[in-house]
Formats: sequence, structure tokens, C-alpha cells
Amino acid sequence: MKKRATIILWLALRNLRRQARRSLLTALSMITGAILLMFSLTFGDGSHEQLIEASVRMGSGHITVQMPEFHENRRIDERLSAEVRTEVERVLLGPEFTEHVTVVTPQFAIDGLASSSAGARPVRIIGVDPITESKFTLLDEKVIKGRYLEPQDEMSAYVGMALLGSLKLDIDSRFVLTAQDVEGEITSQLVRVVGVFRTGIPAVDESLIHIPLSTVSAWFQIGDDVTNLSVLLDSSMSAGPLVRMLKRELAVIELADLEVMDWRSANPQLASLLKIDDFGNYLFHGILFTIIALGIVNAVLISVLQRYREFGLLQALGLTPRQVGGLVLTEGFILTAVSTIVGIALGLFITWFFWGDGLDLSALFGDEEWEFSGVVMDPVLIPLFRPVRIIQGILFILTIGTLASLHPAYRASRIGMIEAMKFDR
Amino acid sequence: MSFSPWRRIGWRNLWRNPSRTLITALGLAVGYFAVVVIVSWTDGLTAEMIENSTGLLMGQIQVHSREYRPDRSIYDTIGGRDGTNVEQLVGKLVNDPDIKAGAARVYASGLVSSGESTVAATFMGVDHAAESAVSRILNGLEDGVLPTVNANELLVGTGMMKKLGITVGDEVVVVASAADGSLGNDLFHVVGVYRTGLTDLDGSYAILPLESLQTLVALESGRIHEIGLAATMTTDPWLAPEVAARLAETLRPFGLNIVVEPWTLLQPQMASYVQLVESWHFIIIGVVFTVAIFGVANTMLIATFERRREFAVMLALGTVPSRVLFAVLWEALILGVFSLLVGLVITLPLIFWFQSNPLDLSLFFDDFTMFGALMRPTFRIQFNGTIAVWAGLALLLTVLVAAIYPAGRASRIPPADTLSGL
Repeated sequence: MKKRATIILWLALRNLRRQARRSLLTALSMITGAILLMFSLTFGDGSHEQLIEASVRMGSGHITVQMPEFHENRRIDERLSAEVRTEVERVLLGPEFTEHVTVVTPQFAIDGLASSSAGARPVRIIGVDPITESKFTLLDEKVIKGRYLEPQDEMSAYVGMALLGSLKLDIDSRFVLTAQDVEGEITSQLVRVVGVFRTGIPAVDESLIHIPLSTVSAWFQIGDDVTNLSVLLDSSMSAGPLVRMLKRELAVIELADLEVMDWRSANPQLASLLKIDDFGNYLFHGILFTIIALGIVNAVLISVLQRYREFGLLQALGLTPRQVGGLVLTEGFILTAVSTIVGIALGLFITWFFWGDGLDLSALFGDEEWEFSGVVMDPVLIPLFRPVRIIQGILFILTIGTLASLHPAYRASRIGMIEAMKFDR
Repeated sequence: MSFSPWRRIGWRNLWRNPSRTLITALGLAVGYFAVVVIVSWTDGLTAEMIENSTGLLMGQIQVHSREYRPDRSIYDTIGGRDGTNVEQLVGKLVNDPDIKAGAARVYASGLVSSGESTVAATFMGVDHAAESAVSRILNGLEDGVLPTVNANELLVGTGMMKKLGITVGDEVVVVASAADGSLGNDLFHVVGVYRTGLTDLDGSYAILPLESLQTLVALESGRIHEIGLAATMTTDPWLAPEVAARLAETLRPFGLNIVVEPWTLLQPQMASYVQLVESWHFIIIGVVFTVAIFGVANTMLIATFERRREFAVMLALGTVPSRVLFAVLWEALILGVFSLLVGLVITLPLIFWFQSNPLDLSLFFDDFTMFGALMRPTFRIQFNGTIAVWAGLALLLTVLVAAIYPAGRASRIPPADTLSGL
């Protein structure tokens, strides 16, 4: 039996070599497909990770810990007390978390009104710790005037360019923030502009303000309370397991009623956009490989029909119909396997070329910012290599190639020996 | 000399091996289908994006005082501090054949407080009847009714309602900075709630009758910030810049310091994104047919190799090589036309079916936003005739390019050697 298998393998290889040009053409279609697949998978994953990172670093992190009602009503009474905050921070310092956690930053988010003599605008005020926040946020890199908040700052504000314009402010101008305090009273706080940013997202540039946490604390007399703790991770893929682990740990110290939210729930629109984009890509690849599969079916089928006599002879020499079918399948499989390896290697080589500097699309983007689900897309795409994707790609092409040889193999196994050897065709 | 014998030979040769021809044609047809469906889907997406972005609140064209954008100061009303005759102005704009409706709007910022909770808000003053013809925000309230004029009634979004912890019918305190430098404040009844799905809009916009807001923020009745205009159903959104330029010309006699801006200027990123997506269409055509070309080349190569004796006979009988070359190219072209027909037969019915019955994908995907426009996850298709024609031409070109090498080989077959059985 083992010997038969070797013979079949040997026959298959010889047949492929005999029809070198045909094999090459069939292989080329698969190689092109594999290159495209690798290219779009790595760049797709890379651009998704970039969008996620931009989203979480502008907002509440890969994971955020807060009171369950806070996400919906954003009321200041739904805050984490200083004790709870310390407990959660302590848990996040555990060895099983530090491996993936880049930084944890406390935030105090309040909706309020910013007013100057020129007018008033609804704003989202975030009290931040300038040290941890500057490691967390991308906002400090978007500075166009002045600087980001610094640890010794008091009553300073880091505001968006659009807000600066609508309130007719400039660096060092003072303006008033108004919001509801813990007792439900309306209170005001004077702040001074120290820096201006521009993200390109209209909603953010018009309404986001960062002020030091110490200023919020003094304004509302809330000590070290925060509304949420935002966690930045090494990769969006760590979010799921870490959320589960954190929930478990919090249950142990009887803080199970806290909400541990991942970026998907915090920005469901982005999560949905990425899923739709993946869906479109799968659709495209599915269709592309259908075309490739039809090409393989054709090539293998023709080679079967041309070797009508040969298959008849093989059966006369003792090969069972099943082995004849196996021979055709083996041919298809070898052809597919070789093309897959070559194609994927070439695809990875091409994307690896872009790995360092990325694929710069800024010429296409022009000066515009492209905002998707609250995130501005970076015009420089960096491919992301995930072993699981490469394995998926290999398995996908192998499956397609093998499936495409099934029908020709079946036809070959049905060839009647006598009929096949009767005439010289 | 007529083409007809070559055409007939080509056609017959295709059907010598029907399954081979069918599989090749199917490959090309699937390619054609892919291009048309993917392009129509992205066109559907971008059309929906433009429609939702302009239809929800913005309107396709807006008229402002030249000073108003981007700072949106309460003082920069149309016609400056004196205001203008709003009815006459809107009437003039709506007179344009491409404009369906126009609505005046007033904006202000301030706080809404329910006693227990306070949120910052953008107040939008609208004229219901006119606004419903321009935007969708007032159509289909989640709950309650539209506010009546000068009865201290307003609408809030679902997000704001949650933040305030109130329900329809509750009273709220409204504070807004007024145009005379004072703080306007008053008690209002929340009579209705709307839901757009856009977090910013639902969480921070309060809508009230135009006159009520003018009273609250001390603006005279002739002073408005914006006129939103909706184009007629039949007007291509990409004509908005032309229409806007024409309207600006119409308004010149009013002598007001105003600008008429189409959505392409109000949402420039969206406009340039859509244009870029359109240039991608040709990349998709290229990729799909590049992959398809190998399959066709293979088939044609085998088909000509099998018939080398036949070509040898033709050449031996005095056919010039270029004739043989053209015969093979003819055959390829017929294969291409046949594939295109198969492609059209599978593509067109499906496209038109999906166009009238968009597939709902909301079971698998949630809503998402692009450039601030809310998108429903539907497989919405907008047939792109231009690309359908281009893809057809690309298909024929693919077949011809794929056939060049096999045709060249066929024309150079050595007749004597081939016929002697070598």
C-alpha cells in the first residue's frame, strides 16, 4: 500500500512536469490570488488595528472600568470613589495584567458648557492626570499651538481648534466652564487655555476639553474620585481575555457590580464598521477564488480528458478506480500546495517591504481627514502580520484547490478501461 | 472577403468541448458579476452616506451669512444685525426648479436642567412645516408630539432624555446665552423625543419652534442663522455645487453678505472620499480580470494545441498565418461575447432584485458611521451603468489579451512536420 502511494505521488509529479506550461499557468493564477490575499489581509488587519488604536486613545481605552449607569447617563453621581479606584488600580498592577497593560489612566468626564464673552458651547470636559494621560492619549500629539497639560498645571485647559474659534479665544485666554456639581448645583470654574489641538474630527475639535484632574477635584470637592479608569493595552486582541480576567478579579474583591467595558461596547459603531469591512473583503476574496477555482477545474479536467488512454492503461496495470481518482487529486493538491507556498511567500515578501515605513496613501487622501465612526484614518498604512491569518490563508487556498480537483478526479475514476484503450484517439 | 467562415469556425470550435467552454465562460461571468456587484454595493454605500448626511439634518445646500461658518457665532445672522425678510428670501430660493424646500433655522447654546441633572445643549429653532420638507429629524418622533409655537415646549433626543432622567411631559429649565449679552432662561415642557442614532445629535440637540428660540435668545424675528435647502428627488447630489452657484446669483439683488454652500463644501472630506472610492472601481476591474486572464489563457492554449493538425491543414492549404491568427482571436472574441452574455444573465436580474429589495444585514452588523453620517447595515445596491459597460469591455479585452499568445503559436505551426505526425 505504501509503495502504491509512492507510485501515485511519483506519477502525479511526472504528469505535472510533462505539462509544464499548463501547470505554470494554473499555478500563476493561484499565486496571484495568494499574493492579493496576503496583501489585503495584512493591510486590512493593520488598518483596523490602527483605527482601533486611534479610537481607544482618543476615548476611553481598550478597556474602561466605570459604574454601570455611567456610560448611558454620564452623571457625576455615577463615579468611582477613591477607595474603589485604588482597589481597581491595585488589581491592574497584578503580574497577569502588566504583561499586556501599557498604561492605566484615571479620567473624570463631565458634560458642561464652555462660555466666553463671544458665546457659549456645550462641551465634554475630561479631567486627566497629565503624566499618565500623555502616555495614553493621542491628543497631545495633535497640538497645533501651545502645549499639552503638565503636572504642575492648575486651572489650565487643552481645547480643540474649532472651540477656540467659536469662543474667540487664544492661548492664555480665560473662559468659564459650567457644570452640575455633586449636590446638583450649577457651578462654574475659570480656566486658561494652555494648548490647542486639531484632530480633524469635527465633534472632537468642537467640544473636547482636557483639564487637570486636580482642578476638577478642587472644583467639585471630590477628592480622588474619578468617573472611569481607562486602560491602554498592547493590542486590541488582548482586550477580550483581559476583560474576563478583570471581571473575575473584581468579583473576588466584591466589586463585581462595576462595569468593565471593552472598546467594542464603547464604540459599537467602529466595531460594526470593521466587521462590515471584513465582510466586504471576504466577499471579494470569495469571488476571486471562485474564478481561480474554475480555472483549476478546467485545467485539471482537460488534463484528465487528454489522458483518457493513459488512465485506461493504468487501470489495466492494476490501479483501482479509486487510485486513479487519487492520482488526479494528488496532482491538484501538489499544484495547489506549491502555488500556495510560493504565493504566500511572495505576498509576505511584498508586504514586508512596507512593514517599516508603511504604505503612504497621503497622496490619495490629500489634505482631508477621513473620519470613520469617530476616528480619523492614518494615511500611512502599516501591515500587521498575524500567524493565524497566514495559516487561514494557506488552508483557504489548499481547500479551494483540492475542492476544484474533486470533479475531475471523479471523472477520471469513472473511465472505463476497455472503452479507453479501444481506439486511438 | 467576408468574416463569416471564420466566425462559424470559431463558434463550432467552442462547442467541440462544451464543458470546457462553459467553465471558462462561467469564470469570466463570475468575474463580471463580481465587479458589477462590488461596485454597485460601494455606490449604494456612498449614495446612502450622502443621502443620510444631507437628509437627516444638513440639507443639500445651506445659506449663511459669510461670517457664520466655522465659528457659528450667535450674532452672525443672515443680513447682519438688521436681519432680513426671511419669507421672501426662502421663497426666492424655493423658486429654483432643483430646490424642493427650504427651512430657516436659528441656533443657540446653553444648558437644560431637570433639577436633578443638567446638560449642555445646542438649541435649534425650526419651523416644523418647512423643516419636515428639508430634513428627517422631525419625522417619526420616538415619543410625544411636535412643540407648538410660543407655548414653551421643546423636543430633546433620547440621549439627552436619559442624561436628564426625565420623560415626555416633564418640565426643564433652559438657560441660553442671548444675542443681547444677557442670559435667557425659561421653563419649558419636553413634549417629544427624537432618535437619530447619532450619539452627538441625540445627546446634545434640543429642538424648539423658531419663534420661541428667537424670543429666548433675544433675536428679532427677521434674524436667522441658516437656511437649509433640500433638492428635488430627481436632482443628482453631485449637481449641488452648480445649483448653489446659481442660487447665489439669484440672491445677488438682495445685496446681503451671504454664501450659498453645497454639501460638498460643508462636508469636503465626504466628497473627496466618494471620489476616491470611484477611482477604486477601476482597480477592482483590474484585479478581477488579472486573476481571470490565466484561466482563459490556459483554455485557449489547450484548445489551439489540440487542434494543431487542423491549423496545419489550413496552413498547408494556403491560408496565410495572419488569417489563422485572426481565426483564433475571433474564436476568443466569440468566447468573450458569450461569457459576457452569461455574465449579464446572472448579474442583471440579481442587481435589480437587490436594488428594489435591499438585503437587511442588521442581524449581523450594527449601525456604523462614516464622516458623521449614520449608516444602516443593508446590502443596498445602486446599479452603476458606466462601470457595467467598462467591465464588459475589460472582459472582452481580457479574452483577447489571453488569446494573443495561443493565436501566435497557432499561426506559426509548421504544417509539414505537424501533419507528418510529429
